[in-house]
Amino acid sequence: MANSDPPLLSVRELTVTFDAFTAVDRVSFDLHEGQTLAVVGESGSGKSVTALSIMRLVELGTRGRITGGEILFRLPDGAVIDLIQQSESVMRDMRGNNISMIFQEPLTSLNPVYTVGNQVAEAVMLHQGLDRAEAMDRALEVFELVRIPEARQRLGEYPHQLSGGMRQRVMIAMALSCDPTVLIADEPTTALDVTIQAQILGLMRELQNETNAAVIIITHDMGVVAEVADDVVVMNQSRVVEQGSVYDIFERPAEPYTRALLASVPQLGSMAGRDEPARFDLVGEA
Amino acid sequence: MTDVMMPDQQELVPAGRDAWRMFLRNRAAVAGLIMFFGILFMTFFGPMLYDEDPNDIVARPFLEPGTEGAPAMGTDYLGRDVLAGVINGGSTTLTVAAIAAVMIVAIGVTIGALAGFYGGTVDTVLMRFTEFFQVLPALLFAMVVVTLFEPSARTISIAIGLVLWPSLARLTRAEFLRLRNLEFVKAARAIGSTDLRIISRVIFPNALPPLIVSTTLVMGAAILFEAGLAFLGLGDPNTLSWGLMIGLNRGNFLNAWWTVTFPGLAIFITVLSFSLIGDGLQDAFNPKLRGR
Amino acid sequence: MRTAAAKIAQSLGLILAVIVLNFSLIHLAPGDPAVVIAGESGAASPETLAQVRADYGLDKPFVTQLGIYVGQVARGDLGESFFFGRSVTSLIADRLWPTVLLVGTALIFAIVLGVMAGTFTARRPESPASHAVTVLALIGYSMPVFWTGILLVILFASVLKILPISGMHDVEFDGGLLASWLDVARHLVLPALTLGVIYLAQYSRLSRASMLEVLQSDYIRTARAKGLAEKVVVYKHALRNAVIPVVTIAGLQFGALLSGALLVETVFNWPGLGRLAFDSILRRDTPVLLGVLLMAAVMVVVANLLTDLLYRVIDPRIRVGARRTRTKVST
Repeated sequence: MANSDPPLLSVRELTVTFDAFTAVDRVSFDLHEGQTLAVVGESGSGKSVTALSIMRLVELGTRGRITGGEILFRLPDGAVIDLIQQSESVMRDMRGNNISMIFQEPLTSLNPVYTVGNQVAEAVMLHQGLDRAEAMDRALEVFELVRIPEARQRLGEYPHQLSGGMRQRVMIAMALSCDPTVLIADEPTTALDVTIQAQILGLMRELQNETNAAVIIITHDMGVVAEVADDVVVMNQSRVVEQGSVYDIFERPAEPYTRALLASVPQLGSMAGRDEPARFDLVGEA
Repeated sequence: MTDVMMPDQQELVPAGRDAWRMFLRNRAAVAGLIMFFGILFMTFFGPMLYDEDPNDIVARPFLEPGTEGAPAMGTDYLGRDVLAGVINGGSTTLTVAAIAAVMIVAIGVTIGALAGFYGGTVDTVLMRFTEFFQVLPALLFAMVVVTLFEPSARTISIAIGLVLWPSLARLTRAEFLRLRNLEFVKAARAIGSTDLRIISRVIFPNALPPLIVSTTLVMGAAILFEAGLAFLGLGDPNTLSWGLMIGLNRGNFLNAWWTVTFPGLAIFITVLSFSLIGDGLQDAFNPKLRGR
Repeated sequence: MRTAAAKIAQSLGLILAVIVLNFSLIHLAPGDPAVVIAGESGAASPETLAQVRADYGLDKPFVTQLGIYVGQVARGDLGESFFFGRSVTSLIADRLWPTVLLVGTALIFAIVLGVMAGTFTARRPESPASHAVTVLALIGYSMPVFWTGILLVILFASVLKILPISGMHDVEFDGGLLASWLDVARHLVLPALTLGVIYLAQYSRLSRASMLEVLQSDYIRTARAKGLAEKVVVYKHALRNAVIPVVTIAGLQFGALLSGALLVETVFNWPGLGRLAFDSILRRDTPVLLGVLLMAAVMVVVANLLTDLLYRVIDPRIRVGARRTRTKVST
């Protein structure tokens, strides 16, 4: 997708090391407003570490260190900052606010001892300076936005009372609660049942239409890529081996590695009987 | 018949030699091992090397170590040699703890294995029984038993054995619950092994590593327990032990610190050696948990 | 999950079992059960023994005797201490409070400080403080509690003469209520420290391990991705999850804690149940000894119930039952 606007997020020559191991090696890509970019590769290819680096979460909770490159982010006021150079307190203001993230394991990604409403409202209170009651109202709004049935009642429930798909909806609601400009989804459907996967992917696409957030989706599944992505970055062994629009990648994969990834897609579901990517019908859109 | 299941078993038990090598690389664990052998050596060869009867009055009472005419660790309230006491006081403690440990392992492993293997009603009944023993305050129960029956080494060993097994039973049960549905156990069932054989020859060897660690720690607990009883004067009145030495000098320790410090140090080092060995074994069997 | 009612019924069952155990011990002990019940090491007068035989129905069939014994205990009658000439129940009631005070203080001290130390060191796993926790835990576990107490007494009697080393009140004490509390508090410091320090060592190590594990979990990453400050991440999101295993172990160890209190009371002349039990052994005052055993078992049972309650407060997975069939309880 050719885009003449300056990118919203521009990752340039990003390098991340874990002790002696280089997990991300000079990775570069751009993300534009309203775009959905898929970063694909096998586990261990460095795609998740790339995502955590954008959030600057590699240094928190893992042994990773960002050792090179820049991550340029355009703020809503137009100023461009390098996330790598920002202090932890600036990053805290960004996380969950300008850039938010959802994770692979909805079962374990929510704190078991607090209600889901609380966990969503917490981010709203932090970033938007609302009081508790207002934040709970906002939580209800985003619960309804992500089509959680009986949303008001769900607010007071604990994660273990919800199904996996419902928990992932809560995670998405939490991520969208402060109207981020960039949403990073790290394997958002991998841990879910196939039918739930389709629902969540459909929901994400609908939400993107409604909110106009740019999305980075991290996945190993070319089927998911076909369904949601505009552009694709293929990673293998810590490096970007190929990038381009989703049609180019599916029609004319240049790299043998990309061809291998494509060949491993089960020709089922929405891809059954087709070789090209096609978007499936949106859930609830008649 | 056994041969069929051997490969699976081997995969689950951490290779003994690797664990041993890990253990020897752990400085704290090796220090524990050295301490333990030091205590054993002192207890069983010490009396030959330091030929002094701990019950003999060798000098004036309350001679501080380092003063003229005092033995290396001074003398107690009767003028007995404290060093001789420390050297001779270990055998009762170690023997009682060893007998108690055998009992603890026998009761704990049997009950835990049956509960974990059979589950259902057997499990419920056995775990209620275990809970009952966990509710009994161990030292008090042992005190009552020793008071009502004669305070001999045998009674004391039995009393300690009776109260310290529940934690081992719980651990064994948890291990058996974990292992009983694994493939190699199913394989053993499929070829028609008896329950007894599955419990003792198939599951038990795989549950061994945590049980060994736990048994080591239980030895330490049994020693502390024996020392506590002896300190209260509930030990075997006819034999000297470290705990008894501290108990006997209880009224005088403010003027004679050495009479209680050295026997206590002996107990401490013995228990510490078991703790260090247990910790080292834990790390060796399960390197992932290192340093926790 | 078991309901509260079932839990209480089970607790009562355990206490009944301890009563039956006491009864069995009286009959298993060598010699005449009447002598055992009377205590005094066989020095009781024939009239006393006859009285005991009549009270406990010792000429009746075994099952009837058990029934009489259980009935008496259930009514709060634990027999008579011939040494004190008082009912065992009133003796125990007098000594209960000091033991509860000692054990409670030691436990709170150990848990609060232990969790704080564990949390602090878990955030800096390679720091000297972190290694110190491991070492101190090993040392604390390996020291005989009565020996630790004696060493503290020696230290505070000869070098640091700032705290009382024996008893619960000053002999010549005279003052108001507040001053009297302060006096008790001063006497409490050393015994509670002695008892608490063992568990402090263990709990700091345990909460360090638990905190290390929790800090690696996915929901902590989520909390950080929300933009929460590290303090909020650790103290709001991690801590509550990390204390769950500490509460479990503290509940399981309560019996051991009581055993330790018994030794500590002996060292510091603390007028609690342990001291009473120890003196009763010297006096062959069996009814008191058996009464203390029962009381201690009741304390453990109550402690377990409180642990269960605390669990429900901390962990909603136990408090709030699964409502829908598709719900899966994560571990």
